[in-house]
Amino acid sequence: MPNNHLYDHDIVSIKDFTKQDLEFIFRSTDKISTLRPNEKSELGKGRTLGYIFYEPSTRTRMSFEAAMASLGGSSIGIFDPKSSSIEKGESLADTIRIIDLYSDVIILRHPLDGSSRFAGELSRNPIINAGSGSEEHPTQAMLDLYTMLKEKKKINNLTIGIVGDLKYGRTVYSLLYALANYNVEVHLISPSILGIRKESIYDIRKKLKLYEHSQLEDILPKLDVIYVTRIQRERFPDIQEYEKVKGTYTIDNNILTKAKPDVSIMHPMPRMEEISHSIDDTNNAIYFKQAAYGKELRAALLALVLNENPI
Amino acid sequence: MSDSSQLLVRRIKDGTVIDHIESAKALVVLRALDITGREGNVITVALNVPSSKHGKKDIIKVENRFLETGETNKLALIAPHASINIIKDYKLVEKRKIQLPDSIVGIFRCPNLKCITNSEEHISSTIDILDKEEIILKCRYCARTLTSDELVF
Repeated sequence: MPNNHLYDHDIVSIKDFTKQDLEFIFRSTDKISTLRPNEKSELGKGRTLGYIFYEPSTRTRMSFEAAMASLGGSSIGIFDPKSSSIEKGESLADTIRIIDLYSDVIILRHPLDGSSRFAGELSRNPIINAGSGSEEHPTQAMLDLYTMLKEKKKINNLTIGIVGDLKYGRTVYSLLYALANYNVEVHLISPSILGIRKESIYDIRKKLKLYEHSQLEDILPKLDVIYVTRIQRERFPDIQEYEKVKGTYTIDNNILTKAKPDVSIMHPMPRMEEISHSIDDTNNAIYFKQAAYGKELRAALLALVLNENPI
Repeated sequence: MSDSSQLLVRRIKDGTVIDHIESAKALVVLRALDITGREGNVITVALNVPSSKHGKKDIIKVENRFLETGETNKLALIAPHASINIIKDYKLVEKRKIQLPDSIVGIFRCPNLKCITNSEEHISSTIDILDKEEIILKCRYCARTLTSDELVF
C-alpha cells in the first residue's frame, strides 16, 4: 500500500485530510476488515495503545480498544481521571509525556479545544483525537462518511439533514468539514439557540451547499440521510426553553411516513429521546451499524498509523 | 524623519525609531515587542504627538537596539501604519513598513475561553493569518476563525 500518509502521523483534525486521504482510509478499511484473523492480528502485534479520556466515552474508547485487540495489540489507559494523578493536578502535558513512554499510539479525549494539537506537539508517538472540546471529533466524521458510503453506496449527491444541537456538538463540525470534500447538499435543522457557529465553518462556507431551518418538516421529504444529534439539556440557560424544543425533532414512525422510504437515520450516540426506540428495528435505523463500522474504521486507522505498509 | 515632531525628543545615535504609531498605542507596542526597560538601554516614548498626517501619533525610540523585521512585524495588528527607522551614527540607514507575518506567537490570547491556550498548560498562543487582505486570523490550536478586533491582548 504505497503513499500511506498516516504512518507515524497524528490524527488531530479532519481538516488535515483531503478527499483522496479519506478515500484511501475507506479502501483500507474495506481491505483490513476482510483480512483473516491471523493476518489481521499481525498489524498491531506487540504494540500498545494508550488512551486518556478526560470526558466520558462508551463507543469511542471501546471501539478503539476492540480495534487494537483485533490487530493483536493491547491497550492501557485512563478512563476515569479521578483515579489518576490528573486528580492531583498533573498537567495534560506531563500526562501525555508519561503515556507516550508506555504506548505506541495515544488516543486522547479532552474538554478543551485544541488539546489534541497541543498533545501532538509533545508526543513522540502519534496522537489520535477522540474528541477535543466542542471543536473536533475527526474519527467520528470518518466513520460517519464510511457508514454513508457502505449503506447508501455513495456520498456524492446525497441530501443530508443534520438535526439537533449544532452549536456545541463537536461531531457536527468534523462531519461538515469531511462532507465539504464531496458534492452534497446539507440542511442544518436546529432551534436558533443551538444554531451552527459560523466562525467555526469559515473555511467551508463557500464549498458546501448549506441551508438552515428550524423545522424538520420543511425539508424532510428531500433527505437521504438524517443525522440526529442529542439536544443537550445542560446547555440551556432557561429550562423552559429546553422543554419547548426537546421533542421538536424526535424521529419516530410518524416522521418516517413523511420521509423518503429509504431515508437513513444516523446518530453519533448516545441517543436520548430524539430517536424513538420504536424505529430501532426498521431498515432506516443505521446507528448501530454506524457504531459497528466505527470499530472497523478505527482498526484501519490504527493499522495505518502503526505500519508503513499494513497490507 | 522630517516631521518637526521628532524634535520633541532627542535624536538618537544608534537604534530604532518606531514612528507613526496610532495615537495612544505606544505602550501596547512596547508590550508586544517585550521592551520593558529592564534591558538597560535608553527608551523614549512620546504619546499624542501632533502629526500633519494623522492629527496625533505616538513615537518610540529605542537606543542601541536594531529591531529585526520579524520582531516589528508583530505590530501589524496593533500599529499597521507604523514605520520602522533604523538609525546608525545619526543616519537613517533603513526605513521599512510593517508587513503582516504568516503567524504571531505569544502576543495575543485566543478569545475562545475553552481554547487550550487559555488553560494552565505551558503553551504559547499562536495566531495564523489566513487572509492578509481582509485580515482573517485563526487560532492554530482551537482553529477558531477570528478578526483582529476579537484578539485579547
